[in-house]
Amino acid sequence: MRNRLVASVGVLLVVGACSSPLLAQTYGTKGYSPGAWKPEELPKDLAKTKPFDPHDLSAVWSMPTKPGYFERHSLNDKWLEIKDKSVPDQMKSDTYPPPMTPWGKAKFEATKPSYGPRSVPPGEGNDEVSTCEPMGYPRDLWEANLRPFEFIQISGRVLQHMQFHDLWRTIWTDGRQLPKNPDPAWNGYAIGHWDGDTFVVESNGYDDRTWLDHFGSPHSDQMYLVERYKRVDADHLELQMTLTDPKTYTAPWVGDKITFDRAKVAIFEEICAPSEESNFNDKIRDPAVGKAQP
Amino acid sequence: MKPRLAACFASVLGVLLAVVPLLAHHGTGVAYEVDKEVTLKGTVTEWIWANPHCAILFDVTDDKGNVVHWGAELGNPHSLSEAGLSKDVLKPGDKLTVVGHPSKSGAPRVSLEHFVLADGRELPEKGVKGNGVKLNDEPSQ
Repeated sequence: MRNRLVASVGVLLVVGACSSPLLAQTYGTKGYSPGAWKPEELPKDLAKTKPFDPHDLSAVWSMPTKPGYFERHSLNDKWLEIKDKSVPDQMKSDTYPPPMTPWGKAKFEATKPSYGPRSVPPGEGNDEVSTCEPMGYPRDLWEANLRPFEFIQISGRVLQHMQFHDLWRTIWTDGRQLPKNPDPAWNGYAIGHWDGDTFVVESNGYDDRTWLDHFGSPHSDQMYLVERYKRVDADHLELQMTLTDPKTYTAPWVGDKITFDRAKVAIFEEICAPSEESNFNDKIRDPAVGKAQP
Repeated sequence: MKPRLAACFASVLGVLLAVVPLLAHHGTGVAYEVDKEVTLKGTVTEWIWANPHCAILFDVTDDKGNVVHWGAELGNPHSLSEAGLSKDVLKPGDKLTVVGHPSKSGAPRVSLEHFVLADGRELPEKGVKGNGVKLNDEPSQ
């Protein structure tokens, strides 16, 4: 609740503070009514070429799509074992996931995802995305292999805006510390600082109801993330994430370095509307697995 | 009973091997036979333009007059709108031919591959994924 309030206030302040049309516009596409904005049209301040500044992360970023992207684990960019499909050796990783604690393993086994080796049809699963429950962070970021996100830098904060489910994350850069005993928040609490040319984001206070990824990997409310972002040139942003969660994993989960490309497109509205998804579940998903009469 | 009838009907219309360009969204690969296709001629009863999934509900009548209520699963409006679809592209009563991947359960549901309108238009237009990204830009699976 508090996090949502913070996010809402943050958005309002940005809208008020920026003369840029970035947040005031919704970009339509050719399928919409005549006269709608073109989808490929970037806001002018993002479209124009600026001198490269490693401390300026402002841009729309997207993970390049690769073969099997739905079956990759984004944190390590490696494939999981897939039913009926052999995983090439070079796609296997020795670094993830670290062994789970008994608590973590029980939580993992309770998940019923619709991707990866344990996948079940959505109508038989319990992935919160099927009902438009908050996916939380960092899961939403990993969907950036299909949907971009953007960084917006303003005084005292960096805003991370994910297209998928329209998630806004506030990274405080005003010198505050992480909360010591935070109430759980869907997207946690995040602070950032510059370490040379690397923007370091630390976060905690995550609600343990969300999954780390669409494979059902668990986390607890003790999860602590460190993200290190580095804009290596005008068009590429590197990220390395380390997840420490002693309640769930017996060792830190160290992600491989992931490179995002600067996307040449604007962020779209991609809402997950609970009532609309419920209607879809009633009429398509549940009948598809025989749970309801077509 | 209905799922069996639907499955039988689908097989009569033809089950074809298909190249699957993308397992477009959540759970497609486990809920549907993505290596098979069915072709269905029907009449739209409802066009659902919604977030995050669109859907077509349509009736298919066989030679004996039996009507089966089919449904097709589509992606989100954002990506579909780039591929030529819109809120107004379909309405109840429209005739169409649906090509899709059948459900594994045998229920009359498909994951849409494409549909053809009475005027011959085929939608979604090929080669568009969303966010301005062309399918041709992607490596094949």
